[in-house]
This record gives sequence, C-alpha cells and structure tokens, in this order.
Amino acid sequence: MNNKLWSVLSLLAVVALLGACAQPAPPAAPPAAAPTTAPAAGGCKDADRVPISWSTIAGFYTDAMTSIVKDFESKNCVKVTIVGIDNAQLYDKQIIEAVGKTGAYDVYNIETAEKAGFAENGYILPMDDYIKANADKVKYDDIAPVLADVTTKYKGKIWGLPYYTYTQGQFFRQDLFDDPTEQAAFKAKYGYDLKPPTTWDQMTNVAEFFTRKKGAMLKGQPLDKDFYGVGLMAGRFQEIQDELSGMILYKGTDWLKDDGSIAVKDEGNLWALKFYVEKLLPYAPPAALTVTYDGVMNQMQDCQIAMTANFFLDQWPNAANTENKCPGSKMGIGVGIEKTTYLGAFLMGVSSSSKHPKEAMDFVAYMAGQEAQTNFARQGGSTTRISVLKDPQFNTPESRPKTAHFAYLLQVFDNMKDKKSNLFYSPYGAKLYNAMGPIYHTAAAKEVTPEQAVQTLYDEFVKICGGEKCTVNK
Amino acid sequence: MESAATKNPGPATKARRTMSDTWYSILLIAPAMVIILFFALVPLFYAIDVSFRQADLTMGGIQGFVGLRNYREVLHEAYFWQSVRTTVVFTFFAIVIEMGLGIFVAFLIHGATVGKGLIRSLVILPLATAPAVTGLFWRYLYDTQFGLYNYFLSVLGLPWQPNWLGDIKLGLWSVIIFDVWLWMPFVALIALAGLQSLPKEPFEAAELDGASSFRVLRTLTFPMLTPVLMLVFILRTIDCLRLYDSVATLTRGGPGSVTETLTYYLYRQGLVFFRMDYASTMALLFMYAVILASGYALRPLLARLAMRAGQR
Amino acid sequence: MLQQRGSTPIEILRYAIIAVILTVSLFPIAWLITTSFKPADDIMVSPPRFVFKPTLDNYVYALQKANFAHFIENTLYVAVVSTVIVIVLSSLASYSFARYNPGGGNILFFILTTKMFPAIAVVLPYFLIFKEIGDTAVGKAIGIGLDRQGALIVSYTMFNLPFAIWLMVSFFQDIPRELEDSARLDGYNRLQVLWRVVLPLAAPGIAVTAIFCLLFSWNEFLFAYILTRDAARTITVGVESFFTLRGILWGPVAAAATISVAPMLVFVLILQRYMVRGLTFGAVRG
Repeated sequence: MNNKLWSVLSLLAVVALLGACAQPAPPAAPPAAAPTTAPAAGGCKDADRVPISWSTIAGFYTDAMTSIVKDFESKNCVKVTIVGIDNAQLYDKQIIEAVGKTGAYDVYNIETAEKAGFAENGYILPMDDYIKANADKVKYDDIAPVLADVTTKYKGKIWGLPYYTYTQGQFFRQDLFDDPTEQAAFKAKYGYDLKPPTTWDQMTNVAEFFTRKKGAMLKGQPLDKDFYGVGLMAGRFQEIQDELSGMILYKGTDWLKDDGSIAVKDEGNLWALKFYVEKLLPYAPPAALTVTYDGVMNQMQDCQIAMTANFFLDQWPNAANTENKCPGSKMGIGVGIEKTTYLGAFLMGVSSSSKHPKEAMDFVAYMAGQEAQTNFARQGGSTTRISVLKDPQFNTPESRPKTAHFAYLLQVFDNMKDKKSNLFYSPYGAKLYNAMGPIYHTAAAKEVTPEQAVQTLYDEFVKICGGEKCTVNK
Repeated sequence: MESAATKNPGPATKARRTMSDTWYSILLIAPAMVIILFFALVPLFYAIDVSFRQADLTMGGIQGFVGLRNYREVLHEAYFWQSVRTTVVFTFFAIVIEMGLGIFVAFLIHGATVGKGLIRSLVILPLATAPAVTGLFWRYLYDTQFGLYNYFLSVLGLPWQPNWLGDIKLGLWSVIIFDVWLWMPFVALIALAGLQSLPKEPFEAAELDGASSFRVLRTLTFPMLTPVLMLVFILRTIDCLRLYDSVATLTRGGPGSVTETLTYYLYRQGLVFFRMDYASTMALLFMYAVILASGYALRPLLARLAMRAGQR
Repeated sequence: MLQQRGSTPIEILRYAIIAVILTVSLFPIAWLITTSFKPADDIMVSPPRFVFKPTLDNYVYALQKANFAHFIENTLYVAVVSTVIVIVLSSLASYSFARYNPGGGNILFFILTTKMFPAIAVVLPYFLIFKEIGDTAVGKAIGIGLDRQGALIVSYTMFNLPFAIWLMVSFFQDIPRELEDSARLDGYNRLQVLWRVVLPLAAPGIAVTAIFCLLFSWNEFLFAYILTRDAARTITVGVESFFTLRGILWGPVAAAATISVAPMLVFVLILQRYMVRGLTFGAVRG
C-alpha cells in the first residue's frame, strides 16, 4: 500500500506541478534568435503593441526572418508572432483558419499557384490602395516584373507582396564538365563537346554518360559507390510537376490554355511526361521515387549525382555545401534547360478577417521592402527585388556560397518574362496543382503509363473545375 | 445471492434494491457517456448532413442539398475502391503478423523470472517514441542511398537492394513491417497483462494433477485469455482499417498509389482538396461497413459479457 | 507451467529470443538517438557513418531555437490530464458494464462504433465546436478553445474513452464476484466495495490502460494539428517545424524525438509496476 500511495502521490505531484506551470495560452514568443536591434520604439509599451500573427514556413529562412521582424518591431508599435508550419501543411492550415474566419493569422504565406484561389474566395485583401499611398516605401517596380505579375496580380489587382522566390534554374558538378578525361570520353561517344546541357536531348546524353556503377571510373578515379547522371524529385510530393512545367512550357503549351481549356493531355504535355519517365528517370538514383528537393540536395552533397534537372535556385546554399562535403567538387549554376523553367515566389497576403489590416500591411510592406530584403539576402535568402539581386556585395567571392545564384535569377526572370503559366491565374489553381503531384508520380513509379496518367489528370481537372474549362483571369 | 444481512432493513428492500442497482449502474456510466454522446453524435450528424450537400470549402463552402449524388460519385470512383482494397490487404497481413508475434512475446516475457519490468519498459519504446517521428526516420532507414537497411544487406553480402519505398511491389510491405514494429508491443503488453491477471488457482490445481504444459495451454490459458485477445484483435483491426499516421509519414500514399489507404485518400479529399462532401460520405460508408462487419464479430463477445454480468 | 524455474537451457533460450526481439525492436530507436548527437554533415551520407564527433548542437537548436521545451510541456500537460480524466471516468463506466451491463450490450457496442468513424471527417466539426466554445466567457476561463490546451484535453479524453472502457471491462470481469459479496457482507456499501476491493485488484488493467492512453495522447497528430496554432502546440506538430525550406533537419528531429521519449519512459516505468498481479487476492480469500 505504501508503494502504491507513493506512486499515486508522486504522479499527482507531477500533474499539479504541470498545472501550475501550464499557462492557458498567451501567444508564445517567437523562437529566440540573435537580437539585432535596439529596444522598443520610443514610448511604445509592450501592452500597447498591436498583435500580428504571421503564418509561414518553418525553418531556416524563417529564422532569418525573425531578426528582421525584430527590426520591424523596433520601428512600429506592433508585436509579431511567427507561426512556423511545415510547407506541406501550410496551405491546409491557412485555409481552415480562413474558412472558419477565425482571424487567427493576420498575414498568410501564399504560394504562386494558390494566389488566385485566395483572392477569388475573398480570403485576402487587395493592396493597390496601400501601395499607391506608400509608393516610396513599397517600391513595387523594384520587384522582378515577371515575378510581380505572376505572384501578385489577379483580376487587375495586386494581392500582396512576394518575399522569397524559389524560381528554378539548374545546378551541376562543374568539375565533371571541366575534366579532360571525361571530355574526351564524351566527345568520342556522342560526337560533340561536353558542356552543361542546354537542350533536353543533351540532358539525356549527359545523364546517361555520367551514370556509372560502383568501381567504374569517374574523373580518372574508381567510384566507391554508384553514381547517377541526374537527381530528380519524382516522389509523391508537389515538386514533380515543377520539374515538368519547364518542359511543358518549352513545348509551347501549358496545363491550361489562355481560355481555360484543359490541355494536360495534349501532345506537349504527354511528351514532357514520357521524356521524364523514359529518358531521365532511368539515370536517377532509385531513391528519386521517394524524394523531393531536400533528397536531391542530400544526394548532390554526398557525391551521388552529376546534376539536377530544372531545380530551385533558392537551394543554392545547400548545393554549394557540396564543395565542403564532396572532395574535389565544384558547383556550377545554369538558367535551366532551354531557358524555360518553373517560376514563382512566396507571397505575403493580408487576411480579410484580420483585426489589424493596417498594421498587417505595414508589416508586409516592410518584409518585402528593400531594407528587409537586403538583410534577408545577406543571410542567404532568395530575394525578389532587382536592386538587391544586383547589389555588388552579393556578387563577391566571399558571398558566393550564399548568393552566387542571384545573377542567374536575374537571367531567368529575363528569359521567362513572356512565359507565365495560366495556372497561376486560375482560382482553381491550388487544387489543380495539388492534384498533379500524385498522378504524375504514379507514372514515374511505373504504376501506370504516361498516357494513362495524363488521361487521369485530365479527368481530375474536369472534376475540379466542374467542366472542360477552368476559369483563367489574366 | 444477495444476503439479507445488509444495512437496509425493511420489507420494501428487495424492490428498492433492484431499482437502485439500475440507477447505480447508469450513474456510473453517466459521466463518460455525456462526453462520448456529445462529441461523437454532434460530428456524426454534421457529417451526415454534409454528405447530402455540395460542400467544397474553398468554393463556396457548404451549400444546398444534392440528394444521393455524393454517394453515387464516391461509389463509382475507382480510386475509392482501390483504397478500400489496399486497406483490407494491409489490415489482414498486419493483424496476422502483429497478433502472432505479440502473443508469442507476451508468453516469453510472462515466463521470464528476472527483469520483467525492464523488459516491459523496453518493449514499449517503439510506441513511446512519437510515430510521427519514427515514421519519418524509417523513411530515412528505408532510403536506397542513405538508409541502414540496404547498407546492412550489402554488408551481409546479399545482392538484394530493395527499393523499399519506391518499388510498387514492395511499398505496402514496407508499411506493414513498420506497422508491425510499432504495434506488436501493444498486443504483447495487453496479452501480458491478461496473462498476469489470470487467477492462480486453476493452474496450481492443474499442476497438482500433473497436466502437461501443452494441455494447460490449450484448455486453460487460451480459453481464459480469449476475451482479452479478442479485444486486442478488434481494437487493432479497427485501427488498421483506419491507418493514416504510418502512411502519412512513411510513404504519403506512394510509391505510385499502392499504400493509399482509405483514410489517407479521405484526408486528401477532405483536407487537401477540401471536398468535405466526399470526405463525409466516404467516412460514413466506411463506418457503416465496419459496423456491419464488427457486429458479427462482436456478438459472441458481447453475449459472453452479458452472461458474466448477469451472474448474480 | 510457463513459470517453471527449472530447465536452464529453456531459460537461456527464452532470454536469447527476448534479446533478439528487443534488438530488432530497439535498433531504429538506437539509431535515432545516435543521430541526435551527429553533426549535420555526418547524417545524410552513404555509406552510413558510425564513427563521428558527437555534438550537442541539435539539442541546443531544438530546445532554444525551435522552442521545443514549450511543446513538450504542452504535450505532457495534455496527456497527463486527459489520461487521468479518462481513467477515472472509464473505471466507473467499465465496472458498471462489467457487473450490470446497462443497455444489454448495445451501449457498449455504440461506444466502440465511435472509433469507427475516421477522425478526418470529424476534425472540421471539432474545429467549429471549439471555436464556438472558445468564444464564450466560460470557454475562455477554463481554457477550452482553439489553440488552448483545454480543447486538446477534451478531444483526447473523447478519443481514448472508448478504448479505455472496452479494455477495462474484461479486467473487471476477471475479478471474482465473491470478493465483492463478502465485502458487502462485512457491511461495506457499493462505492466502498468498488474503491477498496475492486479497484486495487483491477490495478494491472488500469495500469495498462493508463499507459496506452498516455501514449495515444502523446503521439496524436491530427487533432493537435487542426486545433492548435502556436500556444498549445504539441510535440508531434512541433516536430514539423524541422521540415524547413532548407530540407529536413534530421539532427534536431532526432534530438526532439529523443527528448520526447524521456517523459514517456518515466510514465511507463512508474505504471508498469502495477501490472504485477496479486496485490490482495490471496489475502481476502485466505
């Protein structure tokens, strides 16, 4: 009995202690990060601060944002709570709060494909008036034009400001292309000089060329593990369609035509999927079927692949780390095959059920503004502003591991200025986008043929849009 | 039988006794039932309502009645039936292996003389480490490039390097293996508690009578354990039919769509596409099917319960 | 029979098999713990690295930068409180079902059917329910509402009650009725019999149920994800904050998971003592 009593009492004590410690929920302070600023704006007491909540993607770049947020708080009587959410769940979580009109988040983090849906449903507020009234603060024209168009414009209005771009280019092992042994072997086999591929046929050749088994020679040394020509994001995520989009746009087609009719099973679309499955996937590691961008970066850093396909340039710091982890490696950056890739950025939009829209807009303007974006770039973030991308401090050798991709981003923005996917202007965009990943993946996993996959995708699009056309409002 | 030598004298005793037994029994279950009734019935009625309406949360929310349209569409959807098949296949293999292993382990531990407590605590570790995380970790362990399992296979000299999570022929088995790893301790511990709750007398008597271990197992142990084992079987089966967490962390329904169980498909319809109408409809169909099936399975168990309760 | 102390070879075999099973079972966890001490660059490498320079960076990151202690605190509080409530309510209910079977089996069946309804379909109604409750004065005072611990406590109680009731019914039925009857003869009323005679004997069943209720609350993801944002966020959702744009931070994930196991282990160690049979059985009889 004594033993039992003791255990019960200690358990009760634990519970009581927790009860004393557990607070019924004041919003938690943002994760501690190195403070970079002076204390609160003069005369602004903590209790008077307007609370703003920002739902965004968890992790590293959000940590960078925390110090920038503190800058904002020092100049405004506002208290910002950053709620970090995993990228895969961010959309769902924000929609639930939006639909429930809880006003829980004042500022949303919206992907390009989701923008039209958020706007159409009235979940976010247009910012045209604010931008007009605060033109100097916002400097809207400094945002890369094609990005501004695709990420903020819908039905003639501006719906927020982009703060982080994941536009695609390409990464590859420059050292492999520079190696004389490999150059000679390639010339002998394919009849032209070895260089980073710029067409899809060259892509297949190079990928095939560099796919070798353990023990074979690479750069004159025997391989201690299998090596693959290309790393692909063929897992059941959302990135497989990003890889395909550049191929689809290159063929002059799109998922949706300008009038909204569904084009996903036309010739260009089918070609893209077939090429991907038959001419690229065989040269990727078996794990390609289970990974997304972080898996590809891990493979690159571990000396497993020679290059990526069209790939997110914001991952450059990871790609650059290959030079530390893989001896003898040197990384190169490209603008993507046929100069046609996937373009987009994360948008900060103000919730229509926010209780403090003015402060929220100030916050958005600040975070996307030049000062904050420069700060962000300094910490390795992929900024959306032309002036920051061109800033010489980011084009130095010291800055290379963090910002070497800036120059290429500028090129990509220029290359893509007339190639904007119609999907980004459809209110069904988010759903159509979410439908693609699993279906393309079934083709990659060889569960169905590419023909069957595009047919299934077509049927799914019809179901989502309620007909053979999906509204497109450019 | 109830003795008359109680604290309550008087002729009206017997009648009052029976009445207050019933009230007493209701009183005891009342607090639990209040919570269950509210939090089970309100969402249920909500779902039933929504299943007869058009409800796309991102396109207008919950709207007007559409009769049986949702039911028709769901039942005609190939993906729906595929996910049902996946769920049933998974459940079958997972349960058979889990139950077998779990009962075996329970007997092993039950007979151990030293260190029972430690072993019990260790056995439960897989379940104690958040499956949300271990699922993710198993994704890493299963990886063909970075994972430990293929590494061990290659170290052992085996030529087999399976693509655990990328091969459509293997995908479901990878999930089954993970699920068994996770839940075998559950079966084992409950079976163990059952074993340790068994009264000693019958076994001591059997030993005195010189009965063989096998005979004892067959005629005493298993019959007495059956209620507990049946219970675990039912609980685990219901949970396997509802499999979501393991799929969400390990495979997200892939490779291809071979591990997309019904609840994962439901999740995608309800929380990715926000088609609450389809989601509710599927949930109701699922529940209906399981109730039917379990009704048959549970009848003997409930009858036995009533019989033992009725012994007065 | 299974507890024969003789036959040492059998004993050795028994422990050998247990050792194998434990190794297979615990090996992924051991790898998890090892990974938690690895520097980032040593984690995603092929072939896997077994020799490395241990670091505490992952733990520092998890606890400080990711605010993990806050999540552990939330989860602990919610799991313990909801389990206590569940145990109390379900003990009473299970005893009643075991002895009196109110509803003749129908209520019991109904309780089990509540488990058959996929959680995803009820998540939205729960969201709305708690939103409404949280907007009322009472809700705010008690702490039940969206992103409050109370909402999770109630949800997990609901979540675990059916399981607990069903599990404990059979344990209660295993307790011989004669013990209760003789206690009644001795002059105890029904409640006293329940408290003094039945519950102690049902200890193994209660302990097992408590362990699993704790575990299920600890590991639950869906409701925590939907009903909380930041203030009441739990471990399972918090771990997601390591899925960053820079990739999954495996080190901190492993560290967070390792930290989270500790309280669970403590609970199990405390509670599993009760799974030992025979507290007063012989005493009452003899």
